[in-house]
Amino acid sequence: MRRLTADVVVIGGGSTGAGVVRDVAMRGYSAVLVERADLGQGTTGRFHGLLHSGGRYVVSDPESATECAQENAILTRIQSEAVEATGGYFVTCPGDDPEFADKFLAGATATGVPAREVNVSEALRNEPRINPGILRAVEVQDGTVDGWKLVWGAANSAREYGAEILTYHRVTKIETNGSAVTAVLCTDLRGGDEVLIDTNFVLNCAGPWAGQIAAMAGAHPVDVIPGRGIMIAMNHRLVNRVVNRLIYPADGDILVPAHTVSIIGTTDVKVDNPDHLKIEANEVQQMLDAGEVLVPGFRNSRALHAWAGARPLIKDDRVAASDTRHMSRGMAVIDHSERDGLDGMLTIGGGKLTTYRLMAEHITDAMCDKLGEKRACRTASEAIPGSESTRTHRVSDRLADREADRFDSQIICECELLSRKMFTDALAAQPNASFDDLRRQLRLGMGPCQGGFCSLRAGGIAVADGALDAERASGLFRLFLRNRWLGIWPILYGEQVRQTALDAWIFQGTLDTEHLPGPDAEAVEPDPTLAPTTTKES
Amino acid sequence: MSAEPNIEPQTKATLAGLGFAGHELSRATLDACVKCTICETQCPVSAVTPLFTGPKFVGPQAERFRNGESVDHSLDYCSSCGTCTLVCPQGVQIAELNSQARAVMKADHMPIRDRLIGQTVLMGKVMTPVAPIARAVLNNKPIRKVMEAVVGVHADAPMPPAQSQSFEGWFTKRAKPAGPFPRGAVVFFHGCAGNYFEVETSKKSVEVLEHLGYEVLVPKHGCCGLAQQSNGLFDSATKSVLKLCDDLRSAGADLTIVSASGSCTGMLKHEAHEIMGVEDERLHDVGVRTRDIMEFLLDLYDAGELPTDFGPIDMTVPYHAPCQLKSQGMGKPALEVLKLIPGLTVVDSNKTCCGIAGTYGLKKEKYEVAQAVGKPLFDMVKETNPDLALCDTETCRWQIEQSSGVRTEHPIFLIHAAYGLSTLA
Amino acid sequence: MSRVVVIGAGLAGWVAANRLADNGHSVVLLHKGLGGLQLGQGSIDVFGYDPARVTNPIAAVAAASAPHPYATLGTGSVVAAVAYLKQLLPGLLVGDPEANYQLPTAVGAIRPTCLAQPSMIAGNAHDGASWVIVGLRRLKDFSAELIAANLSRTELPDGGRLQARAITIDVAARESEIDSTGLTFARAFDDPDFRKRFTAALAPQLKPGETVGLPAVLGLADPTAWSDVAANLGHDVFEIPLPPPSVLGMRLDQALRARALEAGVRVVPGVRTVAFDAEGGRVRSVSIATEPAPRSFTADAFVLATGGFESGALELDSYGQVHEALFDLPVTTVDTALFHGDYWGPEQPLFTIGVPVNAAMQPLDASGASVYANLHAAGGILAGNAGWRDKTGDGVAAASALAAADAIGKERP
Repeated sequence: MRRLTADVVVIGGGSTGAGVVRDVAMRGYSAVLVERADLGQGTTGRFHGLLHSGGRYVVSDPESATECAQENAILTRIQSEAVEATGGYFVTCPGDDPEFADKFLAGATATGVPAREVNVSEALRNEPRINPGILRAVEVQDGTVDGWKLVWGAANSAREYGAEILTYHRVTKIETNGSAVTAVLCTDLRGGDEVLIDTNFVLNCAGPWAGQIAAMAGAHPVDVIPGRGIMIAMNHRLVNRVVNRLIYPADGDILVPAHTVSIIGTTDVKVDNPDHLKIEANEVQQMLDAGEVLVPGFRNSRALHAWAGARPLIKDDRVAASDTRHMSRGMAVIDHSERDGLDGMLTIGGGKLTTYRLMAEHITDAMCDKLGEKRACRTASEAIPGSESTRTHRVSDRLADREADRFDSQIICECELLSRKMFTDALAAQPNASFDDLRRQLRLGMGPCQGGFCSLRAGGIAVADGALDAERASGLFRLFLRNRWLGIWPILYGEQVRQTALDAWIFQGTLDTEHLPGPDAEAVEPDPTLAPTTTKES
Repeated sequence: MSAEPNIEPQTKATLAGLGFAGHELSRATLDACVKCTICETQCPVSAVTPLFTGPKFVGPQAERFRNGESVDHSLDYCSSCGTCTLVCPQGVQIAELNSQARAVMKADHMPIRDRLIGQTVLMGKVMTPVAPIARAVLNNKPIRKVMEAVVGVHADAPMPPAQSQSFEGWFTKRAKPAGPFPRGAVVFFHGCAGNYFEVETSKKSVEVLEHLGYEVLVPKHGCCGLAQQSNGLFDSATKSVLKLCDDLRSAGADLTIVSASGSCTGMLKHEAHEIMGVEDERLHDVGVRTRDIMEFLLDLYDAGELPTDFGPIDMTVPYHAPCQLKSQGMGKPALEVLKLIPGLTVVDSNKTCCGIAGTYGLKKEKYEVAQAVGKPLFDMVKETNPDLALCDTETCRWQIEQSSGVRTEHPIFLIHAAYGLSTLA
Repeated sequence: MSRVVVIGAGLAGWVAANRLADNGHSVVLLHKGLGGLQLGQGSIDVFGYDPARVTNPIAAVAAASAPHPYATLGTGSVVAAVAYLKQLLPGLLVGDPEANYQLPTAVGAIRPTCLAQPSMIAGNAHDGASWVIVGLRRLKDFSAELIAANLSRTELPDGGRLQARAITIDVAARESEIDSTGLTFARAFDDPDFRKRFTAALAPQLKPGETVGLPAVLGLADPTAWSDVAANLGHDVFEIPLPPPSVLGMRLDQALRARALEAGVRVVPGVRTVAFDAEGGRVRSVSIATEPAPRSFTADAFVLATGGFESGALELDSYGQVHEALFDLPVTTVDTALFHGDYWGPEQPLFTIGVPVNAAMQPLDASGASVYANLHAAGGILAGNAGWRDKTGDGVAAASALAAADAIGKERP
């Protein structure tokens, strides 16, 4: 048993947890973050990549709109590396109410969300693929944000302030003395050790899994209702700006140019279990139809990959309706001392990625209040490591990087222009990482071939460099392809079928991979959240 | 040659993002790429230099990272030969994507040289009346060295052979055949090179057509803009090609347009549309009616309408099919037609590219690459017949002739001779 | 002399075109791009897994049952196709249709195949073999360490074991280039000077009696490159196929193309055949999508050798419907979902879908009658199996192409 001591234990390594551990550490508390999988592997990594301008909420939810506009500006400054300032349009598609644009513009003025109506012809010139029948267009400051970079940035900042980040550690128990939290017990899923962390305060940032965590402390059940949304990544940027339908929020109302792909989203279906998120065939068809409205020919464009995320909505009767002091819109804080007679624990639910920093500020303020301390939040003004220059990411960055180092390093993932050095550096820093862990940081296998050419290459290089043995490397690349497939087959049609056939031809045909001796994939510890059950009608 | 031509400046606004329909179509084809590497295996440039990252990289791969900003200048090593598009089994317009990315790059930075050698008409007009001087200058190493230094055209690169009489001059001054013309009229499109440099090819083409019974019409016409297009100068190239369409249409509606300038026919048939995104009924009309002369003869043969009373030519001759002809989707018609000449053995070079790729091999930083690309072809030509080689397009002929030392002519020379209209020198 | 149009330049297209030309037809071969041969393993599979590992491919063909294409083709046509391939590619293919080789792959598995290139067969795995797998530092698709370690932990088809160790050496195919393709190395190996530099770097590291396994990059233009390397090293050498680009596959592709041109086949490359014209139950012509106007080819008979799902000859649309892309021929159906969620599980049902044919390789309609009397299909477009899985793709392609060509031959007056 390993034993640690910390002022605060943060449970959950999504954006909320990472933002919270950074804030807590910057305020001088010793902190440990515990995450059962990898950082950003849950809801944070399963969205469409939008950095809200606030435009989406100017009519339906003015306070959220203002918060988003303010946080958009802050993140673009302090986490510029994770943000691409693409800009965005809200467009009135044929059949949509053109007068909604007037409400929208009025709402934008009222909420402080920068927006201006532009000529339809200007919008079509800038985004030639969008529906030529659009009636009105409003330009906003939507951007895109890489959820994984965002979380890793916050976690790295927290580390610089002394925090410890424990990934692949599953919390098994929250120990109490009957009235207050005393320790968190967890298991190192990769090393097998038990870890006991003595602490007086737990911040439960487990999102859709927050109810399971609260129960470990013996609290009354927390009613988490995960809302499932599916997203589909299209092979390339059909648009270079975020394009939204200029209507009340609806399913399939947005197309986001995130990195090299464009992502359409999303749906909202209540589900019971956030570990089993289906990608239903009818929802896929719904997204394709919605895409066709935004970009004619969408169905003939190439869909690469689909995924589902679970919104961490908490509907809890025990949340005091009057207690909005420490809340952001759409966010719920549960104080377990009032609710369950348990001191030293707060549970946070809801929220949106764009306002993750503000949520962390509010929660940490609430904890300070509980502890009777006044420590100021500084997260809005200090840049995160790697973003000091405030230069925002551009989609062309990797192309420029490979142009510069093409005589120095091989390219491992050709679709996403990942160099050998980037891969081997990351593996050296995280020798126990799965290829999916590395994918989230490097975009390995996230392009058109979906691992068809890079996965074996990555495995071979890891063995050649002595980083992995052949059995583990073979298992890892097979597992990687198995996991990629989970997001491919529910949206498999058109051009991607050719790719799938070629990939099968290479792995089964030329390489005869399925006749490698076992144990292989099963020897590698599977990712706990990466295997959603998927169904599709024939 | 020293004065910089007056060319309208390309504004970045017109090209940044390439927001025209043609680019969106090419970009949409990148969805078909399955990374299979077939284009890479056939690229003649990446075969000889690691400086070029290859068509898959520069085309469908890099295109996903482009957003109206040019960050990968090594794409300029692409010679635009079009082989990648030709060999892609999935239908990706790789070469077109590369050409469009190059246009974005050139919108930012355009060497004087790329504008100068794009001006084919200007170069021809400047040279024709003073051909002996031009020839002397172009064959003069010290002067060529100055050109290399000033405008970046390599001192050893092939330059057009200047002629003392243009084709137009010959055509208008000659005694016109009286007819009758049982097969009706066709329009002959000579192109810039065919007017100023490759005058014999044009003459022989016209004489073969007239021998077959066609009345040949030659409306006064200018440049197709191909050289400007391949150097990324889309605005001026578009103006040129549309002007040419007007010129050719003036000769009459519905007439077949025949040309011995295989690369210029490619511009009319598909490049202006597919690379520059020109959407114009005039272009479509002219493109549909345009035939390469050997294609025209093969079509006649397939229809049973080509006289095959060819006299024998006892010779073995190497033939090279130029990239721009191959990209027109007709195979190698010259090979099929030349097969009909008794005694003649035509050996297909089966080489991808001669290296010149229009104007690519003229540039000093590309010259060595172009020579390396063409070397297997030059060797094959020399081994097959040290006295004569055949090739359909003019810059390729100049390149082969200059680099192999073997006289290189259009296949129409042999057809002309086999019909008894001339004897081979 | 009748005119036949062959569409497609994969193994089936080349075999059909060569055979038709040999049978005296005037042949035009239309193809969009280069065919699949240079993406494959560069040997000829007849039957690899049924689903157990096959040692006698012809015996496995004889046992095949519908809907596998072999059930229609029969052993006679497969034996004839193997013989014809060896005749088309003298010196490039060796082997016995009744005995598979068991050859290593670039991931270190042991793969059965029927006809192999001479440069591959020293890699026929057997108990007690002592191998050294040699990687090239600048060739990223061949990890000698991974291959050797996986081979060493594998029980061989004969029940034995082999020993394999790994060496990686750094010999540049081209100076200043760190990321060289297999083809770049193959071109370097065509140069005797490069071979000398290579053997000088490698020879001192070899142990007596070791057989040397190398990535399949030992020359493209020079057919003696591999044996020259072996002679210089003083060791037996074998080539291991790489993922695309496959130099082994390119050798087959180039040789079959050259043979077809020599036989008089008119090849029109770079064209997608997109439309057709039929009357009276016969196809009259097909059209290619040239700019700015299509071009059509009239013929007496047509061979459809456009491939399967990997080439787009078979398409799955976004509503879940499968189409044959050119003639909109009837395709088979499956009574399950098209896909299942286990990547390494059983064959995805989609990939068994294709065009049903009779013994003359004529596509059939639902009633079992031929759709067009003068249309024949061959290769990956046929229904019944995914050739990459049971390792029957090449045998089916060659045998169906031969059957289609010979069926056309019999039509002649």
